[in-house]
Amino acid sequence: MVNEKQLREEVKKIVSRDDVKYVIGYEKGTYGFQVSPSFAFTPEEADKFIFSPLCVNNLAVYLMLEEKPPLHKNEKEDTRKIGLIVKGCDSRAVVQIIQEKGMKREDVILIGVACPGIIDPKKIKARFPPQMKNVDVREEDEKIVLTINGTTHNIPKDEIIFEKCKHCEKPNPVLYDLLIGEEVKGTKKEDYKDIKAFEKKSLKEKWEYWEKQFERCIRCYACRDICPMCYCKNCTADQLSPQWIRRSVNLSENTAWNIMRAYHLAGRCTGCGECERACPMGIPLTKLNKKIEKDVKEMFDYMPGMDAEKKPLLAMFKPEDPEEFIL
Amino acid sequence: MNEKFEPNIVGFLCNWCSYAGADLAGTSRIKYPPNIKVIRVMCSGRVNPLFVVNALQQGADGVLIGSCHPGECHYEQGNYLARRRFAVLKKILEYMGIDPGRVRMTWVSAAEGKKFADVVKKVTEDVREIGPMQHFKRRNKW
Repeated sequence: MVNEKQLREEVKKIVSRDDVKYVIGYEKGTYGFQVSPSFAFTPEEADKFIFSPLCVNNLAVYLMLEEKPPLHKNEKEDTRKIGLIVKGCDSRAVVQIIQEKGMKREDVILIGVACPGIIDPKKIKARFPPQMKNVDVREEDEKIVLTINGTTHNIPKDEIIFEKCKHCEKPNPVLYDLLIGEEVKGTKKEDYKDIKAFEKKSLKEKWEYWEKQFERCIRCYACRDICPMCYCKNCTADQLSPQWIRRSVNLSENTAWNIMRAYHLAGRCTGCGECERACPMGIPLTKLNKKIEKDVKEMFDYMPGMDAEKKPLLAMFKPEDPEEFIL
Repeated sequence: MNEKFEPNIVGFLCNWCSYAGADLAGTSRIKYPPNIKVIRVMCSGRVNPLFVVNALQQGADGVLIGSCHPGECHYEQGNYLARRRFAVLKKILEYMGIDPGRVRMTWVSAAEGKKFADVVKKVTEDVREIGPMQHFKRRNKW
């Protein structure tokens, strides 16, 4: 359980520093179960910061979304740091970006919070009617306590948190400058049960499944925009010359886009599951990302976002890499 | 259809080894199936997985990537990096229900004209068995 008072105190301390531009955290959303990202430029703004199992966003994406307009003459670049509240998977995303030299370690201040497991908005929507007033959420042992309009609901964690959180191996931040609260004891193990079951199906069945999924894709690129790892300045999907993926929405282009999106995240995806949450059509993108994660672990014994000093997976090699597929 | 299905195979061959190997196969007059359409690239590390997906989209039934033997790459490590890339790509394709036999990789040195011919023969037969690529082929042509 994260002490919010302590969190705010620490954020205030950090924001008042001269070398810090702002701190990114969470605040209460407009309605019921919503929590929205919040930016604190002054110590007063840090007062609204919260942390609860409803804090679903991966804030690492904002580090790379920041626009840097061209400088005027004699203008100096703003090199102040950015503070960031990170959960387990968010911190891995930050580590991965640092690994790829997308940004420097000294440019960020990471405020780590041990992640209790995050509530899936879809599951909560199915269970409770929409609320106008903000809902109070607490975490107690293996239960989540929701207080809606004065009534308390005790819900076992496994029923309401994300599927990915049920098997999360790294609930604690990998990299942080200061940790709020105590580390969670991570005893969960990722067994990739669903993936293994799906792999056993025949090629035809697999394609029939994915065909149905990709046909629904509307190519809004929400999955790309929300992904902390998708920070290329020129995305292949937007590129016109050469145009590798056409803009038309049909099965062929959708499949090509989804293969490329998944492939681009090979050995980089930290499994935060934001793409699936952002997808308006409900395409199970985690199923694809997890599969690659599993293969990469098996083939190359590599886990993305664990060590900022290491080289990224596809930028290095070992002479003894698997090559049974080579003729 | 009584006609035998003739697969369309796109070959990305590296300039220094496989392309020279293919050249040797030609100059030594070794017969191999004409189904392969060769695109010369400077290194197998140049082959972006996007090329492969795009080839499959545009009507290729199979893709062959040819590179130097490990340790013999002109750019020292290009073929090692390519090996990693295509190991991952093949897994993704298989998971999506596209036969991974459509994407093949091979080591062919400049002196292995015979090997190149054998590889092309094998790939052509394999792809012929798998059948035409229908999964996500582009329908509209303009």
